[in-house]
Amino acid sequence: MRVLVIGGGIVAVYLANKLKKENSSIDITLLSDEDTLPYDRIHLCRLVDGSEDIEGIRLQLNPMIKIELNQKIIKINRKKQRVFSNNSMFSYDKLIIATGSLPISLFDIKGISNCALFRNAKDCKKIRDGIENKEIVVVGSGPIGLELLDTLNKMPNVSHITLLLRAKHLYSKYLSSDALKIIEESYLSSGKIKISYEDEITEKIIKNNQLLSLRTKKLHIDHPFLIFGIGIKPNIEDFKKYLATNIGILTNSYMQTEDKNIYAVGECAELETLGFIAGHVKECTLQADCAISHLLQEELKEFKTGTSVDMLKVGKFDLVEVSSPKFSNSYEKVIIYSKEDSRVDEYFLNEKRLTKFIGINSNVDLAYIETLINSNNNVDIDYLYENRLISEKGRLICSCEHLYQQDLVDIVTKTAISSFGELATFSQAGRVCGRCKMMVQDLIKESQYLIDPNVPRKSIEDIHREEEINKVQKRIDKFNRLNPRNNLDANNLEVAMESLEIAKHEVNSWISMVTANMQLHPNFEVVVQESIKALNKIPIIWLELADCSGNSEAFIKSTNPSIEELIFDYISLDYHELLMSASGEQSETVLEDIIKNQKGAYILIVEGAIPMAMDGKYLRIGAKGETGLALLQKCAKDAAIVLAVGSCALDGGIVAAAPNPTGAVGVAQALNREDIINLPGCPTNPINIVGTLLSYLMFEELPTLDKLNRPLWAYEGRVHDNCERRGHYELGEFVKEWGDIGAKKGYCLFEMGCKGPYANVNCPTMKFNGGVSWPVQAGHGCMACTELGFADKYANERKYVEDEKSE
Amino acid sequence: MNRKKIVIDPITRIEGHLRVEIEIDENNIVQEAWVSGQLFRGIEIILKDRDPRDAGLLAGRICGVCTNSHFRAAVSSVEDAYSLELPKNAEIVRDLMAMALFIQDHVVHFYHLHLLDFVDITSALNADAKLTYKEAFRYSDEPFHNSYTHYEATLEKLSKFIKAGKLGPFSNAYWGHKAYKLTPSQNLILFSHYLEALKFQAEISKAVAIFGGKTPHPQSIVVGGVTSVSDILNPQRLNDYLFIIKKAKDFIDRAYLPDTKLLAIAYRDEIKAGVGRSCGNFMSVGGYEFEGEKKLFCDGIIYNHNFNTIEDFNELKISEEIDRAWYENESSQNNIKYTDLNKDGSLKTAKNDDKYSWIKAPRYDGNVMETGPLARVLISYTKENKLIKSFVNEFLEASNLEILDLSSSIGRNAARAIETSYICEYTFKLISRLIQNIKYYDTETWVKFNFNSLKKNAKGRAFLEVPRGTLSHFINIENKKIQNFSVIAPTTWNATPKNFDGIRGPYEAALIGLRITDPLKPLEILRVLHSFDPCLACAVHVINTNGKELSRYKI
Repeated sequence: MRVLVIGGGIVAVYLANKLKKENSSIDITLLSDEDTLPYDRIHLCRLVDGSEDIEGIRLQLNPMIKIELNQKIIKINRKKQRVFSNNSMFSYDKLIIATGSLPISLFDIKGISNCALFRNAKDCKKIRDGIENKEIVVVGSGPIGLELLDTLNKMPNVSHITLLLRAKHLYSKYLSSDALKIIEESYLSSGKIKISYEDEITEKIIKNNQLLSLRTKKLHIDHPFLIFGIGIKPNIEDFKKYLATNIGILTNSYMQTEDKNIYAVGECAELETLGFIAGHVKECTLQADCAISHLLQEELKEFKTGTSVDMLKVGKFDLVEVSSPKFSNSYEKVIIYSKEDSRVDEYFLNEKRLTKFIGINSNVDLAYIETLINSNNNVDIDYLYENRLISEKGRLICSCEHLYQQDLVDIVTKTAISSFGELATFSQAGRVCGRCKMMVQDLIKESQYLIDPNVPRKSIEDIHREEEINKVQKRIDKFNRLNPRNNLDANNLEVAMESLEIAKHEVNSWISMVTANMQLHPNFEVVVQESIKALNKIPIIWLELADCSGNSEAFIKSTNPSIEELIFDYISLDYHELLMSASGEQSETVLEDIIKNQKGAYILIVEGAIPMAMDGKYLRIGAKGETGLALLQKCAKDAAIVLAVGSCALDGGIVAAAPNPTGAVGVAQALNREDIINLPGCPTNPINIVGTLLSYLMFEELPTLDKLNRPLWAYEGRVHDNCERRGHYELGEFVKEWGDIGAKKGYCLFEMGCKGPYANVNCPTMKFNGGVSWPVQAGHGCMACTELGFADKYANERKYVEDEKSE
Repeated sequence: MNRKKIVIDPITRIEGHLRVEIEIDENNIVQEAWVSGQLFRGIEIILKDRDPRDAGLLAGRICGVCTNSHFRAAVSSVEDAYSLELPKNAEIVRDLMAMALFIQDHVVHFYHLHLLDFVDITSALNADAKLTYKEAFRYSDEPFHNSYTHYEATLEKLSKFIKAGKLGPFSNAYWGHKAYKLTPSQNLILFSHYLEALKFQAEISKAVAIFGGKTPHPQSIVVGGVTSVSDILNPQRLNDYLFIIKKAKDFIDRAYLPDTKLLAIAYRDEIKAGVGRSCGNFMSVGGYEFEGEKKLFCDGIIYNHNFNTIEDFNELKISEEIDRAWYENESSQNNIKYTDLNKDGSLKTAKNDDKYSWIKAPRYDGNVMETGPLARVLISYTKENKLIKSFVNEFLEASNLEILDLSSSIGRNAARAIETSYICEYTFKLISRLIQNIKYYDTETWVKFNFNSLKKNAKGRAFLEVPRGTLSHFINIENKKIQNFSVIAPTTWNATPKNFDGIRGPYEAALIGLRITDPLKPLEILRVLHSFDPCLACAVHVINTNGKELSRYKI
């Protein structure tokens, strides 16, 4: 597919890079009308004061993407899918217009040497070269104008600047006078700047391409250098002929124009239904994401307007503005103002909900503010007041990534990065809208001395893992605090293990095995160990229904080392008919006690099927003759989670095999619930039960499940794919009859009816009885006992054919 | 007479759903007992109309405890039907798996499921290490891990163990119950072995898995042989098996067997009083041939503890009755006739024709029969089986008991331990035979047959001695499909309900006359029941639809 992108700005580059990353086979070409490779417009100020040259603010373009410079678009042929420039023709399958916007000037300044816009590198050069000994006049006080003003203010060869404003105030009419005062002060204190409010140009004298003098409502200025910073408009002139436009090029919510092969993104696009034109980099890149999702027909992303965040960091003040699309003029406002700290927090409320926040030198947590705006919660003013000073993380550096100063310093000290480039793997700070890039760079430089050369560097995975592990650790601590039952402290399991003469190294290797089996990084071993110690705090009820005790047996007899058994039999299994010593009424009291007093805290493990025929009376338990179903319902009602262990608990297993004499079903069906975790197997490998319990404890959530509600980490792999005999399958070496030469050599058992290709479980890697063997190793082949209806479908030694009964 | 009925359900520390109801008099002496299986699954019904070759994998799932017993019995019944003769190696491998299961089952039963009926852990804390060291020599010449320091360490562990809080069996048992009789030293010896047994059982299960692929539910037996040929051709695997058994034997001879001697000495009064003695009829089908003539167990029937006249076992005399089980002979749906429980949840037992259990009533020549290790030991001993006789005599001498004394709760445990020690010895011979065979290039593990050319209709049966007693599977094949399948498991014999004649089954009979110290803590009841090693999943089977006479399966 050939994708043509018109534009050379941030959005064009972002979109091209991302699209290439998603699908490297797409052929992408960028057409830019500038004569230089793409650069980051956000940092134009750096070109004005000369602190960077254009190379310093270049945007990185994937080298696999072609770029053509100096391409002024003159024609588009939608039918033939071609774009013509002043010197070339380009064919496309999909065209993306990302031409951005054009600055507005109040009169035509073409050719005038001392009048400039402030939009591209050329403008910057013109300003830099032309302002010497001039009276600078800046028109407009939007964020960009204010930033430029600040830059000019700091330049030594500038002595007089006049800021010309139509309005009565700087920045925004919504700000309080105290806030405006702080902003104004920060500009006026140098003495170079004069602000003229409610003023505009009334007359101008131009001679020989020179603006000689200006007259405004209030002032007269000779030899000015005039810079317009008043606004922008979508750059769509070239496309008006070919596409439906209003203010911008009209698109749907996937940024598609009326032509299905043409998209428009960024400041040149206008969402038809919303009438919305993007103004922030974040919105523009979001639009690019939506366009890509639609273009690749993957998970479709629809563009929606959301909360916007604006930041201004100039000279002596920081300004942050967070604004909801729901904001309206009928707001009420709460201001927290500290004259001493030059700090103002302004909260705008519509019907008790926060819709806008503007902070100057504010300490509040922006992430919280954004969440609050996005939520439907009423504002608790007291809370906001209480938290006005919390700033342990320092200044907010990147509003897009919510990265605070301390966060960045932490990254630097942990990972020992030394440049902005290296930061990319750890954080996107400075890369989303790019406004804070320079600050990030400076901060990285300043924090270098904090790096301890003796501490090994960490990768992004290490850091994420550490965070995750910390979370788990906190959760376990919390769990231990909340569950003081059993009067056990963390040492108890160790003591118990010690008393059973289970050696430390045995425990450690077991923990490593469990950790690996759960597909967790070895670093998790520490918390796995902690969780095991905490396992004894969860009350566990193990119900045996219509079963053969095979799964219980798997625990008490077949495990090695005896650690699982220790954990289950001796510490945490509160109710288990096979294991508990109390019989009759006493054992029933134990059960009642857990159900009543540990609501929502205990785990229910169910082994066996549930006979439903004859009102469930094929199974009765306890002195009162409760049916298995009634007992299950009673126990399941307030259980934190229900694990269905073994194949019978999955779907009735062998007990439900045709003709299903007792109307047996699995746990999920008997309870009519969809949240039962199934751990099928005949029997289930105990290690998988341990893993599921641990993951519940560690992550407080169900593990990722497959369509049969089986934890993916244990049931994802196909037996056939991980089989030790797979090589023989590939070579066509099969056992043809029991005991033949192939059987002696360990050939593939597919011809002997091995159901490995239909079974998903980790038997080939975990094996049974302490890794001694598994059915395929014993030369028999798999019977897919982890799958639905295995007894009728797979429990035989013949090759599986879809409809075997008609055979 | 003022009788009181007590319901005990569930009976824990057994496999499956067992209920016992007893009637006690004012002196708390058991006057009547009813034993009931409370779960019906109908595996035999499920087996109908299936390919006979699938019987093993499905019937194996009758029980997860006796798993390879049913697996093997089902496959053997099919082989019997088709008169397939197995290669030596296949028979040996099946035996090796069975032997490992015997050892595993018996040890786990004694230590894991039964011992806490006798050992008061809290009392062990008061033991003196030096005295305990001396005490151990009363039961063995070289007691297992017997040293002053070992007991010191065990005591320390024990106190830590108890301090560690809620430790399952130790916290829930009936501490301080009057029926606990052991001295602190004796308690300490048993407790130290209890800990060893925990490690033992994981090891021994590996022995089954080496040839079975896994346990429970091994998967290596097929009609005509076994599949684990690459395992038996691997010297390392054979060696692993051998060493596991070797270690097991050490534990059994120096810990398990002496421990049952200890109980026999400590509870001598109870034994002499015949506590737990049952009907006195014993049955064994014998089996496990080796070296041509010799058999590990003898077959035979003993009536009424009469060891002088012993009959040979005759399978034609087996019948199944259902007078008081939830079945009927009329051709209703699967022959089931569930008459429910009383409103209060108790068994309907008022009338002598009330049905009260899912367990059917197998009879031998019309008699109830006790089966299991005790039956095997008594019958083999009485039949002068030279292999086992010395093992039994040694035990009886050391504990100063007579052969009749074994017919008691503690005697059953003794018989089980004697048998385990004996089996270990025999297993070495078996594995040497396997190695011998392979050495002489006999690597056959499967008898070749073509299923399509086998006869369409056939009947077969398999009688096996398995850990809990006599297991029989019967198969009737018509048109290459299973027309009927029937199972009588050891616990079916032992936990049988009464018939119209009112004669009690072995469990029921053993409970009569028992004195219960505290009806809320029925420790004495548990001791008696546990001594049989109940396995209820095995026990419940639907009656065959063709009537009572199972002998008609005889070809």
